[in-house]
Amino acid sequence: MKKFLNISLLSLVVLSSLTLGSCKNEIDEIFDEDAVARLDKAKAEFTEILTSNGGKWQMEYYANANEPGYVYLMTFRTDGSVTISGKNEWIGYVEGESLKVPTFGSQTSLWEVITDNGPVLSFNSFNKYFHLFADPEDIPSLDEEATDETGYGHEGDYEFDLMRYSNDTLYISGKKYGIDMIMTRVDANVDDHVYMDEVVAMADSFFNAKIPQVYINLPNDTRWVVKNGASSILKMFREGADEISTAETHNVIITHDGLSFMNPITLDGYTIQNFIRQADGSLLCRDDNTTTITADILSNVFMTQTFNWKADTVQSGGEFANFIRSMKTELNDYGKRKLSSVQMYYDNSLSRYAISFGCLYQKRTFYANYYFTAEAVGDNQIKFHYTGELSDAAVIYGEKCPSMNSIVQLLNSSTFTLTTSSLLAPVDMKMTDSGNSATYITWRL
Amino acid sequence: MKKIQYFISALLLVAVAAMSLSSCSEDKLGPTIFPDVDETLDPSSYTYQLDKFLEDNYLKKYNLTFLYKMPDVSTNMNYNLVPATYENSIDLAVLCKYLWFDVYDKVGGEDFLKSYGPRIILLIGSPAYNPTSGTEIVGLAEGGIKVSLFKVNAMRINDFNMMNEYYFKTMHHEFAHILHQTKTYPNEFNTISIGHYDSNNWQDRSEGQVASLGFVTTYASSEFREDFAETIANYIVKTDEQWNYILDLASRGWASGDEDDVTSQFFCYYYYPNNDVTQDLVYVSEWNVFTEVDEDGTVHKYWRNNKDSEGNRIVVYDVEDKDGIDGVEAILQKVQIARTWLKESWGIDLDQLREEVQYRQSHYDINELRKQVTDIH
Repeated sequence: MKKFLNISLLSLVVLSSLTLGSCKNEIDEIFDEDAVARLDKAKAEFTEILTSNGGKWQMEYYANANEPGYVYLMTFRTDGSVTISGKNEWIGYVEGESLKVPTFGSQTSLWEVITDNGPVLSFNSFNKYFHLFADPEDIPSLDEEATDETGYGHEGDYEFDLMRYSNDTLYISGKKYGIDMIMTRVDANVDDHVYMDEVVAMADSFFNAKIPQVYINLPNDTRWVVKNGASSILKMFREGADEISTAETHNVIITHDGLSFMNPITLDGYTIQNFIRQADGSLLCRDDNTTTITADILSNVFMTQTFNWKADTVQSGGEFANFIRSMKTELNDYGKRKLSSVQMYYDNSLSRYAISFGCLYQKRTFYANYYFTAEAVGDNQIKFHYTGELSDAAVIYGEKCPSMNSIVQLLNSSTFTLTTSSLLAPVDMKMTDSGNSATYITWRL
Repeated sequence: MKKIQYFISALLLVAVAAMSLSSCSEDKLGPTIFPDVDETLDPSSYTYQLDKFLEDNYLKKYNLTFLYKMPDVSTNMNYNLVPATYENSIDLAVLCKYLWFDVYDKVGGEDFLKSYGPRIILLIGSPAYNPTSGTEIVGLAEGGIKVSLFKVNAMRINDFNMMNEYYFKTMHHEFAHILHQTKTYPNEFNTISIGHYDSNNWQDRSEGQVASLGFVTTYASSEFREDFAETIANYIVKTDEQWNYILDLASRGWASGDEDDVTSQFFCYYYYPNNDVTQDLVYVSEWNVFTEVDEDGTVHKYWRNNKDSEGNRIVVYDVEDKDGIDGVEAILQKVQIARTWLKESWGIDLDQLREEVQYRQSHYDINELRKQVTDIH
C-alpha cells in the first residue's frame, strides 16, 4: 500500500509539472515587437542601408572554399535594380575570352531584401557576371580530362542572410552554402571600371610569378613560406618544415586595399585574416598590426642563384651613370659597337656571380663577363668581391673600354644598399653605393 | 482493498488533469501579427511594366502568381539553380499567355483556367540537373497548383524547335499534370504499355525504339503519368510533319547488337557485308541509307557510299518488328484516351486545342507580343 501511494504521488507530481508547463503557452516577452513586425522592420532597415549614400558596395565574394574570392561592385537602387560589376577570368570566359584573361563586365539585374528566418539579400534575376558562380553548368576548364561539374557548377550563393551592419560594413552569409562574406560601402562616385582595374592591378602587384615564394612574418620572428600566391590559393608551411607533409592551403581575396583570407587562420598561435597594402608594397595584418607578408630580405633576393638581373641603365646615377655613358662612347669608338645589355647573375659552372656587358657588333653579341663572390652584410646590404676572373671577351673589350673595369672596381670597392618599390614583389632593385647615395643603378628581373 | 486504492489514485489523476486542461482553455487568438502590406504596384519600379502585365493578365484574371524573381526557397534546395533573366521572363510571360492561357480560354471558355489553371507559375533560369543519371528537369507540376518552368536562360527565341521542345511542350506537359492531379485519367491508359516502362534507364533509350513500343518520347517511357502528359503535350505542339515522323518511327522494327543492354544503340536497318547473306548482318543508321523508287513504285534501300566487290550497291533491309507491339496503334490509342478524357472530364476538344496551338506557335511575332509589356506606361 505504501509503495502504491508513493508511486501515485510521484505520478501526480510529474503530471502536474508537465501539465502546468504545457499551459504556459507563451514564453516571457523578450522582444518589444512580434517576429513578423521585427522582420519587416529589419527588411526596411537593410533596404535603406543598401540604397543610402548612393548605394554602392564592394562585395568580397567567395563561391566556395577551394577557389579565390572575387571582388564585385554593386550599386543598389530603390527601384529594385542593381548594377553588378566585376573583373575576373570567369567573366572573361562568359565574354568569349581565354579562361586566363580577367575581363571587366557590368550588368544591371534585380535585387530585393526578402524575409525568411531573417532578412535575406536576394539577387533574384539572373546577372550573367554574378550568377555564373551559382550556375549549375559545367565549369569551363583548359584541361580536357577535367571533372564534369554539370549540376554543381561552382556552388556559389546568390542569396545571403544579412547578419549585421556596422561601420559601413555588412556581414552576410551565403544562404545555401553558408560562407561568411562582407560588403563594404564604396563612394558612389567611384567608376566601376576604373575601380575594378585597380583591384586587378593590385592583385598583379602582390604576387609576381618571378618571385616564387614570399613569407608571412609573425610577431615571434618565425616565418611561414607562402607559395602559389598568384593563384590566390596560398600554399603555406612553416619555414624549415617539410613542405610536402605540412603544407596547408588557404584561399584569399585581393581587394582594392589589400588581401584577406576567406576565414581567420591561426599560425603559431597568431590569428590573422586581413592585410592592408603598405606604401613599401608589403602587406600588414589589420588584425594584429604586426604580422607582415613580404618577400625574403632584399640581399637574399638579389643573391638568389636562379635570378638574372638586367640593368635599367636609364635609372642609374652618379658614377654608375658616368661609367655606362663612357662605356657606350668607348664601344662606339671601337668599331661602332654598341652596349646591348648589362646583366648580373649567378654562373653555376663557376659558382660565381657575374656582371656581364653585352657588346653588339655586326648583329653578334659578345659578353664581357667579370666574376665576383657576393656576401650579404645586412638585410638590405650587399658586398661584392672581384675574383680577378673574366671571360675572353672581357679581356678584349676591357682593354678597349676602360669604363668596364671602372664599374668592376666600383662594385668591388663599395658596399651597396638595396631598395625596391615592393617588398612583396621585389622585381626591381635599386642598388645604391652606401658611401655615396648619388651613385646607384637599378636592376630588374 | 486494492480496488479502492486504484480508485483514489485515479480520482486524483483525473482531478489534476481537469485542472490543467481548464487552465489551458483561457487561450485566445490575438490580432494578426502580419502587417497589412500595400500591394499597389510602384510605377517607378524597374520591373513595373512586367509586374503590371502579370497583375492584369494573370493575377486579376486567373488568381495566378507569376514568379519570375526566383526565391531559392521556392525550389528544391537539393538542386543548384539560378534565377531567370528579366528579359527572358518577359518573353516567357507573353508566350505563356499567347500559347497556353489564351488558347484554353478560346477552346475551353474563359472560366476553365480560372477554375482549373495553376495558381503559381515559377520561372527558373537553369535546368535542374540530375548528375547521376545525366538527366535534367525542364518542368515540374506540383500539387495541382504550381508549375515550374526551367532552363529559361537558354531560350533562343528564333529557334522554333528548341522553343517547342523545351518551353511550349513543357507548358502543355505540366498543365496536363495539373489536370490529371485534379481529375484522374482512365486507368485503361496505364495498361497499354504496361511492362515496357523503365524509370531508371529511360534516358538511355532511343526515340525509335520507344516509339516502336508505343511511346511518343523516351521520357514518356519512364512511367504512366509522364507517358500521359507527354502524349498530350507532343500531340498538341508537334507539327504534322513531326508527329508523322514519330508514327513512322513507331511503325518500324528496331534492334541492337545487344538487346539486353538498354543503353545500346538501336537501328531499324541492316545490311550484309559485300551483299553476302551468309555473313553476319551489320546494323546501319538511318542517315547512312538512301532510298530509290522504281518506275513500278518499288522502294529500294542502299547503304550510302559503299558497293560490293562486283560494284553493286549494298542492299539495306528493314529490321523486322519483333517486339510484338503495334507502336502506332498504341500511340493512337493513348491519344484517343486523352482525347476522350479531356472532352468528358474537362469539356476540352484536344484536336481543336492542337489546331489552335499549331496556328499560334507558327505565327507569333515576339516583338508584337512584347509590346504588351513594353507599351505599358
